[in-house]
Formats: sequence, structure tokens, C-alpha cells
Amino acid sequence: MLYVELTIQGIVQGSIYALIALGLTLVYGLLRILHVAHAALFTLGGYIGVIVTNQTGSLTLAIVAAAIIVGLVGMAVYKLAYEPLLSQPPYIALIASIALFIASEELYRIIFGPYGLSYTVQPMSGHIELFDGFRLKYVEILVISMSVVILSVLGYLSLHSRMGIAWRATVTDPSMAQAFGVNIQNVRYLNFFIGSALAAIAGVLVALLNNFVEPTMGSVASYKALAIIVLGGLGSIRGTLLAAMLLGVIESFGTIYLGHLIDRDALAFAFLILVLMVRPQGLLGAK
Amino acid sequence: MLEVTNLSAGYGDIIAIRDFSFSVKAGEILTFIGANGAGKSTTLMAIMGLVKQNSGSIVLSGDDITNLPVEARIRQGIAIVPEGRRIFPDLTVRENLVVGGHSVSKQILEQGIETVFGYFGRLGERADQLAGSLSGGEQQMLAMGRALISRPKLLLVDELSLGLMPKIVDECYLVLGELNNNGMAIILVEQNTERALDVANSACVLEAGNPGFSGSVAEISNDDSLLNSLLGH
Repeated sequence: MLYVELTIQGIVQGSIYALIALGLTLVYGLLRILHVAHAALFTLGGYIGVIVTNQTGSLTLAIVAAAIIVGLVGMAVYKLAYEPLLSQPPYIALIASIALFIASEELYRIIFGPYGLSYTVQPMSGHIELFDGFRLKYVEILVISMSVVILSVLGYLSLHSRMGIAWRATVTDPSMAQAFGVNIQNVRYLNFFIGSALAAIAGVLVALLNNFVEPTMGSVASYKALAIIVLGGLGSIRGTLLAAMLLGVIESFGTIYLGHLIDRDALAFAFLILVLMVRPQGLLGAK
Repeated sequence: MLEVTNLSAGYGDIIAIRDFSFSVKAGEILTFIGANGAGKSTTLMAIMGLVKQNSGSIVLSGDDITNLPVEARIRQGIAIVPEGRRIFPDLTVRENLVVGGHSVSKQILEQGIETVFGYFGRLGERADQLAGSLSGGEQQMLAMGRALISRPKLLLVDELSLGLMPKIVDECYLVLGELNNNGMAIILVEQNTERALDVANSACVLEAGNPGFSGSVAEISNDDSLLNSLLGH
């Protein structure tokens, strides 16, 4: 009984990790940049989610608004911060990304206040009782089902749509994709839009789970998402999803069984070190 | 068909080709002959719009395409079979062809895929296999097929025979000959000079970025000393 509960908790957390880390993998796969500032977009998504819900009472509208606005902000981040640095070594862009992340946290503090925000009326606060007093919160059902639907749709499009195929070709060999008329600039914008929109949706969902957003809610997410994409194998989308789910479940069990030894947030790195000792290329990474 | 005048192009500050002029008509094969680093591939990349052009003009079927981006050049009817094949290894054979037809309508894409499978039956058999798992010869066929989807008027072919079994090379040249007979203009870069002179109508010799002899293959065949120097005898 406890196992089932812990597994579901883990899948909920893993779904959130997957939504956040996928954007990071997309950017790394295409540009070989570690996009640390991605976590700042996750936070922004959380804020927009709470503010729009409180203003309009509609969670659906809040999710859509967060995805679109943050998607556009992500495109702007690429255009303004990364594109001018593409000819430089990747660590230059990494430094810019870290700076942007720190600056965003301060910006959120100034704009939204230092104490964080909550929903005035928390949407989806109920739960259903399944069996033996086993409860599943509506929010948890929402997190899992949204992740499954969104990731399935994206997966289908990347495999079967012409744009999806062109995008995968661009990841493999940008200049050859260009030689056949793929506009790689548009591929990059699309990449940042989708990745950032996913992070924003994750932000709204985390805000729902915790009923709270604050300026630094992205800091744990930022380093954990980095651990996940390394764990999965840098650039591997399947690896990222697998690592996100595994980490969610391991954290969920670890908190109960190893909680007296090791902090929850340290588990990710302990697990990362263990895996890299056996598979230096990550779970599904190419050698 | 294609008129190139005083083309200079290169990478960054390095000029790989200087003041190169040549032309090719519909149904003709032009070959570039020269050692590695002579600027043959760079010239093809510049025609495709993939390498920065410093000066000169490129005119295709009367339209000046010198300043057009790659996408527009594809629509004007140019396609490339690049050096080293450069197929997309993580994509299936069919998906590689879909990328080749990125700039054409779905209908032309579907017809193009059927045509390519008609030329190269092996590709049809392996349509859903990852391109990276194909043999070298099949990858070369795929690289050719990928370039044909957009129905080019001018095909740029870079090192068709490099590292391939003679039988496969013959098969590729057979298809090239058929396309040429149907009116396609072809510019061929080929390390096998004998083979290139065998199929081409005219040739340009390049030496370290500078254009040398240029003329018909018949002229070369009649000039024993030139022929011997080109063939390395």
C-alpha cells in the first residue's frame, strides 16, 4: 500500500521533472548550450499561473497564458542572450545563462515581492478516494495526465510531422538540413518556444501542488534538471524522460527509507554519481 | 542554365576559390578537376548558398541568384549530393527523403519518394531502417535520392565514387546518366578523373583555388600532354 503511494508520488514528481528537463535537453541537443536560465522560465510560468488564476478564476486560461507568454520569453532569451554568442565557446553562453538566471530571480523579487504568492482560492484542491483510504489528489491526476498527453503529442509530431522530421535532422546536422531548405533559425525559435512553454506548464503545476510561488523556486529545479539531462545522456530525449521518472520515484522512496541519512535534494546527485560510475555516457547517451 | 562569373568564395578570411567563371547547359555534365583543397567542393557549396561568397555572380536560367538564401535556390532548382554523403544517420531512409523534400509540396514529396525507390530498389526495401545502418553504397544512393526529391534542374555531385565498390559506383553513374539524358544539368566533382572525363561534356581544372584549363572533354582528349597531366601519367 505504501509502495503504491510512494510510486505515484514519484511519478507525479517525475512528470514535473520531465516537463522541465525536456526543454533543457532540446536546447542542449540543438545548440550544445547548458541553458541554466531555463529554470527562471519555470518560475515565471508559476507566477503567471497564480496571477492569471487569481485574476480570472480560470486555471485553463492560466496554463495557456503561462505557456504562450513564457514560450515567447524563451524565444527572446535565445535571440538576445544566446544567438550573439553562438560563435563563442559554449562556456561563454553558460556564463551568460547563469547571469540571466540570477538576474531573473532578483527581477521576480522586485516585481512580484520577496514573500511569494499563493492562490486566493486553490483550484483542484480536492481528492478522490480509491480504495482502503488511498487518496489521489486532483492535482496529482492533472499533473500525470497533462504530462502524458503533452509528451505523447510532441513525441508523435517529432516522429510523423514534416516539421518534426526536419527538426530532428537539424539536431543531427544543421548545415545539411539547411542545404535542403530547412530554416534553422525557425527551428531554433520553435525549440525555445516549446521547451520554455513546457517549463512554464511545469511551473503552474508546481504552484498548484505547493499552493505557493516564490522568486527562488527555480534554484532547486535548475540544478536538478541539469543532473537529469546528464543522467539521461546529454541530448537524449528518451534518456531525459527516463531519468526524470526514475529520479522522481527514487526520491519518493529515498525520502522515506534514506531520509535519515541523506537529504532529498542530495539524492539526485548521489544517484547521478552512481550511474556515471557504471555508464559515463548516461542512461541512454551515445558513447 | 547556370552561368557563374568571377566567383570568389571561402570560409572566414580564407579565400578557397578566386575569380572562377564557368557555365553549364541543360543536359550537360561539367566536371571540376583538381587536387584536394583546390576549391572544388567550396565552389559547389557556394552555388548552393552554403558558403559565403565574396564576389562574382551566379545566374540560373536567366535569374540572378547571387544573393538568394539556400531555400530560394532550392526552389529555383538546385540540389546537392554532398561530399561524405552527410545523410542523417538517426533518421530512417524515408525520413531522410522527407528532409530532402522539405521545400516542396506533400504531393511532390510523395511522388519523389516513389521515383527514388524506382531508381534505387534497395532504398525502398530499407525505407524504415535507420540510415546510419546502411552500407556505404546504400548511403550514397540515399544521398543522391535525397537530392532528387525537389526535382532539381541542376544537380551538384561531390565525390560520388569515394570509398565505394565499383559495382555500386556503376549503379550510381547509371542513374546519373539517366537523369542527364532527361535534361538535368550536372556539376560533378570526382577524385576518379578518368571516370569523370568519361561521363562529362566539359571540364574545368582548378589549382589551389585558381582556375586553370577550361573547355570541352573532346579538347582534353585531343591534347595528350594535358590529358596525361590530368590523369597523372
